[in-house]
Amino acid sequence: MDNPQHKAFDQELAATLSRGRSVAVTGFADRVVGAVRADRRRRVVIRWSSVATAAAACLVAVLTLSVPSEEALNRQTFALFAHDESAQFADLLGASADLSLLSPAVEKSSVAEVLNAPGS
Amino acid sequence: MSQEEPTLPDDEDDKRLMALVAAGDDDALRLLVHRHHARLVGYLRGEVGSQATAEELAMEVFIRLHRAASRWRPEAKLSTYLIHIAHNLVLNEWRRRGRKPTTALEFAAEPGDSSQQSARRVAELDEAFQRAIAQLPPEQRTAILLVVQQELPYEEIAEIMGVPVSSVKTWIHRARSRLRELLKDFYGNE
Repeated sequence: MDNPQHKAFDQELAATLSRGRSVAVTGFADRVVGAVRADRRRRVVIRWSSVATAAAACLVAVLTLSVPSEEALNRQTFALFAHDESAQFADLLGASADLSLLSPAVEKSSVAEVLNAPGS
Repeated sequence: MSQEEPTLPDDEDDKRLMALVAAGDDDALRLLVHRHHARLVGYLRGEVGSQATAEELAMEVFIRLHRAASRWRPEAKLSTYLIHIAHNLVLNEWRRRGRKPTTALEFAAEPGDSSQQSARRVAELDEAFQRAIAQLPPEQRTAILLVVQQELPYEEIAEIMGVPVSSVKTWIHRARSRLRELLKDFYGNE
């Protein structure tokens, strides 16, 4: 640093850089305030839109979870079939219906008429 | 651009104004910007080599300051904090560009030069120095700008750059040596 050439150089460097030390810009503060207000509005919109998105996601989740899946429906159906007494009753009814088909298609009144007929 | 010098920053008043900014007072923000923007733009212009980019980055610094106002703790001077934000933005800018600034620095001769010849000499010197500074590695450029242009102490520069004081001293020493080397021919003509 004691070298006179170095000293001259350092002085020149300091002089050159100090010329650009402070660069005042007219109206800069107003521009910043305008940009900050816009940024503030943007962040409010972003905050509300994220709240709305989260609420919508919750709603969809609730709706989706309240509807049983296809597999669950199948399981429920099989379980109902396994424990359904009405189905067993229906089976019995079906059997009695089959038996009724086998019974003779005659009426009591018609038999009496045959027995009481003249010449019988 | 006007040549008026804003009032000198007052640390205590800065703290008071920051509390008002955190409460949403735009007039307090306006006052803070008025106080600090000139040096911030000067520093950023030295870093990126363009007035427009420097103003754009300075704007971003104040937007970030506003966002952080409620969390700001006055452990350091506000001016140090502002340059710290600016330094981080400059690092991002270099990453975005791929590397350090390559564009020629803008230059305007200072008014009040006694003659055209002296103005031309000042312009040549400025241009030569600015070009040489633009060729420095980023950390050396930042360190030399902060110590010579902004006249900050080593400790504050270390805080801004997030490095030990010894690193700052090394970078400044290397920057001076490199600048002397780059401007050797220019100084040989003296």
